[in-house]
Amino acid sequence: MSSNVPARTPIQFSGYDERCRALLEAAPDAMVVVNESGKIVLLNLQAEKQFGYLRDELLGQAIKNIIPEGFAERLVADGTRSAAEALEQQIGTGIELVGRCKDGSEFPIEIMLSPLDSAEGVLVTAAIRNISKRKHAESMYRGLLEAAPDAMVVVNAAGKIVLLNLQAEKQFGYLRDELLGQAVKSIIPEGFAERLVADGNRTAAEALAQQIGMGIELVGRRKNGSEFPIEIMLSPIVTAEGVLVTAAIRNISVRKATESKLAETVQGLKRSNQELEQFAYVASHDLQEPLRMVASYTQLLGRRYQGRLDADADEFIGFAVDGAKRMQSLIQDLLMFSRIGTQKMVLRETSSESALQQALTNLRVSIAESNALVIHEPLPDVLANGPQLVQLFQNLVGNSIKYRTAKAPRVEVKASQVAGGRWLFAISDNGIGIEKVHFDRIFGMFQRLHGREEFSGTGIGLAICQKIAERHGSGITVESELGQGSTFSFTLAGTGSEP
Amino acid sequence: MKFPGKDGVAIELLLVEDSPGDVRLTREAFQEANKNIQLHVVSDGTEAIAFLRHENGYAHVPRPDFILLDLNLPKMDGREVLRIIKTDEHLKTIPTIILTTSVAEADIVKSYELQANCFLSKPIQLDEFDVLVRSINDFWLKRVKLPQQAKNLDGKIP
Repeated sequence: MSSNVPARTPIQFSGYDERCRALLEAAPDAMVVVNESGKIVLLNLQAEKQFGYLRDELLGQAIKNIIPEGFAERLVADGTRSAAEALEQQIGTGIELVGRCKDGSEFPIEIMLSPLDSAEGVLVTAAIRNISKRKHAESMYRGLLEAAPDAMVVVNAAGKIVLLNLQAEKQFGYLRDELLGQAVKSIIPEGFAERLVADGNRTAAEALAQQIGMGIELVGRRKNGSEFPIEIMLSPIVTAEGVLVTAAIRNISVRKATESKLAETVQGLKRSNQELEQFAYVASHDLQEPLRMVASYTQLLGRRYQGRLDADADEFIGFAVDGAKRMQSLIQDLLMFSRIGTQKMVLRETSSESALQQALTNLRVSIAESNALVIHEPLPDVLANGPQLVQLFQNLVGNSIKYRTAKAPRVEVKASQVAGGRWLFAISDNGIGIEKVHFDRIFGMFQRLHGREEFSGTGIGLAICQKIAERHGSGITVESELGQGSTFSFTLAGTGSEP
Repeated sequence: MKFPGKDGVAIELLLVEDSPGDVRLTREAFQEANKNIQLHVVSDGTEAIAFLRHENGYAHVPRPDFILLDLNLPKMDGREVLRIIKTDEHLKTIPTIILTTSVAEADIVKSYELQANCFLSKPIQLDEFDVLVRSINDFWLKRVKLPQQAKNLDGKIP
């Protein structure tokens, strides 16, 4: 017996106090008292239950029968220290061992040992807990961890890896043992450690809290040195060993590749769109020249030979002149349309009233011919591209005049302030109106609702209007009923607002 | 002393234009406008400079009173022709008018930088083209006083 084991009051088993026994029996864990030679000298009800023996079957038996390994060894002093010393080191520490039932089945246990000086020498009290459930839960968590589709790595405050799963091994190309205890920097060179380390003002937990739930994109490095894009999600776990950080690491190579493919596709689409606009512009510009020749010379023919050939010749020349002129207006409209699409937009403070006035000046011939009345209140200053705004008014008011009934056209231009510092412009007329079913169609390219005999036109005018409105951050809408006139509306930014 | 356009003396007009269709249209329009115009035509920039300097078979052509210059020309571009005319001591007094299909702001600015006397866009419609030619005639050939000193040397470059 070692002298430095504190003296305790010996227990007289023969005269054991009933209350103590009751206490022992009521303990939730199996309790077994073992003597120096490893024989069981006392046990409680739980011990009977756990191991499936009757009390008498166990009393006097070797502890090895129910705890085959580890326990007895802990009792026996090695060459240099006594059993009590050996035990002392274990006191208060749960030791995980395996228990064996009478039927031979085994189950995981955790035992807590404490030495007990008695008249019969040093005895050892063992509290034995069945930890099957805990083990089961642990293995479930372990399974969960291993089954996770992402690499999972748990890192301590020093940035060392303390736990990882199968995916982590796979993704980074290391064996588990190669990574355990290693700095996380060796697999995530940049950014990760910085997120762990607290700066002067906040703790690691605080720093982490800000990152929680956020995917952070970093670069992972495999054992072979190759790198791949990762997204990590961090969450802190407070443990007895301090704050640990669980990192779920997702290999986002595929997503990155998809993203860059998408970006490429978008880029390609933009380019082909630009090319198309460029093409429309160049084509219509270059077509204009030969067409000018055709139109000019057929007109010259008409001018010089009208009535000097026969009636057929006059008619043929008439059709040729008409066709050429129509094609010219088509091409001019197309040119304008593509110019609006390709032009760099600079929005300036513009008087919408002046723009309307300019449009009315351009329309003066048709206004006079049709006896049109165009009325408007004072109109505001807006942020707009001046020439485009003139064109927009000109096309809309021009349409109001063109698509008139037998009555003299009456056109009203109004502006009212709406949300976001914008102005809502409305151009209303008393014209022929449009059926609701055609509302979408009329803004399409080359869309016409009427025969050429009825109303002339290229079918591009409203497409131009829509494009101009779009480039001013607005749409263009129509309200109309057949025979009841139409109202076309769009908005423009006020001078106080951001364009 | 005789003055171009007056007393039956022809106005010598040099047209620098590569499109035969445009040449004919211009000729027709000026004939309508003014019978006194003597129209000379060259179809590229190099020819235009040769004409003005009496080189390469142009030894006996008159010095033009007035130049109509297209911008887009084969061999030597209209801008280059303009630059040469306006930096040449003996040629720069000849009014030079740009007549082109371009409406590009850059072309307009560049032309005035190179000292073009004015910039005109060719209208697409024949009627408007006729109107334009008439106004060129009315303004540049009737109203505007053109310099005469070079003419006094018998059309020869000193």
